[in-house]
Amino acid sequence: MDTRRLAHHEFPILGRAYFLGGRASTSVKQVLREAGVDDAAIRRIAVACYEAEMNVVLHARSGYMAVDIYPDRVTIAVIDKGPGIENVDLAMTPGWSSATDEARALGFGAGMGLPNIREQADAMDIRTAKGDGVQLFLTFKREVTDDGAPPTGDSGTRG
Amino acid sequence: MEPPQPVTVGRAVEALDLGTCVSADPEALIAGAQVSDLLSYVMAEGQRGQVWVTIQTHPNIVAVAGLAGMHAIIIAGGFEPEPETIARAEEEGMGLFTSAQTAYLLAGKLYELGVR
Repeated sequence: MDTRRLAHHEFPILGRAYFLGGRASTSVKQVLREAGVDDAAIRRIAVACYEAEMNVVLHARSGYMAVDIYPDRVTIAVIDKGPGIENVDLAMTPGWSSATDEARALGFGAGMGLPNIREQADAMDIRTAKGDGVQLFLTFKREVTDDGAPPTGDSGTRG
Repeated sequence: MEPPQPVTVGRAVEALDLGTCVSADPEALIAGAQVSDLLSYVMAEGQRGQVWVTIQTHPNIVAVAGLAGMHAIIIAGGFEPEPETIARAEEEGMGLFTSAQTAYLLAGKLYELGVR
């Protein structure tokens, strides 16, 4: 595993602000594009980030999304201050949701969030306890060329 | 039966008689469509270059369409987007259109035009 970290960025997420939801994920997509991450990986990361971000918006008071870009992978951490998940297995069940009626009427809370995230990520680690927030760690492999370099130039910037 | 011809955003806007809130590149080719009001579903199934027919009107639809790489959102059923939705679509360069027709009819017309 290549330990050279090329970039690190953090984006805040505001709980309950439904209509701002997606801003952090959109920012992540932007920095991945600038770093030359391949489109297929960006697509998978965007889906997972959006779902994780909306989980924070719908259920927590606040949180943040951190992205770390390495030559061979991208890692995402989504950390929130919220009620936590009492039963992770249940929350992983497609269709199961604890979203409010208000959120459901707006098209959220379909119970597809965590299942969608698990489908997109190459590795997923969730740490949570009731009343203790959620810490979600995701890893996505990125396309690497034969010489070990990413397909296009990395900006190498640190945010 | 002849294979369907490529359909541009401009042609769809004209044929479906859509109202324009935020314009999109009229020459962009439509690579399919989604019809759904569940954001997670569209996030998971939406593909680059598609258009999305929905009755949701809040700004989050722009985030979903943008993350999925879609060309445009069509708000069906005579619903109007919220001002914040229009602002966000302008900010992100996302096409935003409206129609008084139902999502069902719009989907049928898109299919008839050749969108697959």
